[in-house]
Amino acid sequence: MKPPRISDERLIELTGIEKWFGKTKVLDGVDFHVRKGEVVVLIGPSGSGKTTLLRCINHLETVEAGQVKVRDELIGYRMRRGRLVADYERNIAYQRREVGMVFQRFNLFPHMTVLENITIAPLKLRDVPRQKAEEDAMELLRKVGLPDKAHAYPAQLSGGQQQRVAIARALAMQPAALLFDEPTSALDPEMVGEVLAVMRDLAGTGMTMVIVTHEMGFARQVADRVVVMANGQVIEEGEPDRIFSDPQHPKTRALLSAVLH
Amino acid sequence: MHFDWGYFWSQLLTPSGAFLHGLFLTVLMAVAAQLLGSIFGLGVALCKMAPNRVLRAVAGGYIWIIRGTPLLVQIVFIYTGLAAANILRFNDIALPGGVIFPGSVQAGILALALNEAAYMAEIYRSGILSVDRGQFEAAKALGMPPAMMFRYIIMPQALRIILLPIGNQFNIMLKNTTLVSVIGVSEMLLVTETINSATFRTFELYAMLALYFLLLTSLWHLFMSWAEQRLARSSDRLAAPRKTLAGGKEAAA
Ligand SMILES: Nc1ncnc2c1ncn2[C@@H]1O[C@H](COP(=O)(O)OP(=O)(O)O)[C@@H](O)[C@H]1O
Ligand SMILES: [Mg+2]
Repeated sequence: MKPPRISDERLIELTGIEKWFGKTKVLDGVDFHVRKGEVVVLIGPSGSGKTTLLRCINHLETVEAGQVKVRDELIGYRMRRGRLVADYERNIAYQRREVGMVFQRFNLFPHMTVLENITIAPLKLRDVPRQKAEEDAMELLRKVGLPDKAHAYPAQLSGGQQQRVAIARALAMQPAALLFDEPTSALDPEMVGEVLAVMRDLAGTGMTMVIVTHEMGFARQVADRVVVMANGQVIEEGEPDRIFSDPQHPKTRALLSAVLH
Repeated sequence: MHFDWGYFWSQLLTPSGAFLHGLFLTVLMAVAAQLLGSIFGLGVALCKMAPNRVLRAVAGGYIWIIRGTPLLVQIVFIYTGLAAANILRFNDIALPGGVIFPGSVQAGILALALNEAAYMAEIYRSGILSVDRGQFEAAKALGMPPAMMFRYIIMPQALRIILLPIGNQFNIMLKNTTLVSVIGVSEMLLVTETINSATFRTFELYAMLALYFLLLTSLWHLFMSWAEQRLARSSDRLAAPRKTLAGGKEAAA
């Protein structure tokens, strides 16, 4: 039943992830994978561990147990004398280029123009010549509908515009996958649509995406698969129509009735 | 009490060559020590925040010792103490053009710089810690290694925050150079003492010395005010309210 643009290759694969913050177990044996070209929407009540799971994928969080693999490569750890040890920051940084991230609070660099925000990583990390980097950035700005804002500073933009720039900034590194952590939660309601539209376009181009969101209508439209989390565990997953029309787990039902009604 | 105004004015407005040389040494040592201390202090700050426990301990120990002992003692220790123990002797260096760079001046600059580094480290650290955590995460998520993240993302934002405290440090530095007189550097204080021992115009001479320091710190203060205004103007741009888009909503509210 999966659309042909999704390959069988597992781009992201997490197995048996456990994560503790002090004495609280925040992720409790999570298995999670994303195939190439797939759009996975992650839903769950607040505090269920969605953000933490996302942050484990690009090693913004360390894990206490389990493995994170991107393109079959172990993230954050390397073998030393037959044992896994924490990898060097430089290597981790290198691995992070495969996976872009879009934050709830945008996190644009306030001291740089929109164009600089988008070009800094390709210029410094991928050694793209400046002219090429700027052309690519302008192309991305056209894609997110902001070609006239290239020389504005983030503080001069609305929240919706900032988030669209943040998406362009992440895309500029040409990542294999993009992670979105509640990208519209910090926005005024009238700006939610413009950001979701950009994400919908992106999904249409075959981009691999993991999206944490409370926008259930959007989730139903763009998701290939919906994963439901509660208390640090994956409690249910499946095609969006099935999850939304026939949720199996009582907590999924409670969640959906709380958001939809 | 007698204050010889004529002598005072003549010394103030037409200072002797020796005094001008002292003024030069004061400014030279302050600028050099501040620059060196700022660079070294950045290293200490980064070590203090490093994931590596040993680096953190070394940096913490350094700051502890420097801040816990008098600068005057540090100066004497570095110049006289180290030489007496045959660890390090500061010899005069002949620069091209026949200029001598005296060992005591080298030691003075080094001592002031090492002292400054400890204070600068704490200032950098407070600046770095006040940068939003989201900025670190965005930089990391793009794949920037730590050095690049600090260079392009964190430090430019931290420096805006700590401009004022850094300015204060240089004000203190200008005045602290007088301590180097104890190891025989003929900066403004020692020159004044020397002139005084020949003329005994103590009151006039020290009033004049104080005024020269006041002049230096005031010039610096003016420069800092100008720099802050410039920064404030660019910060306006960085933190501009979303006039165009939120305007309608605010009016409606
Ligand atoms: N840095 C942290 N320190 C301590 N606890 C944290 C931290 N980040 C998240 N948590 C806790 O972990 C749990 C899961 O958080 P999170 O992953 O943000 O959930 P979600 O994104 O689903 O709302 C929550 O109970 C939260 O309080
Ligand atoms: Mg969250």
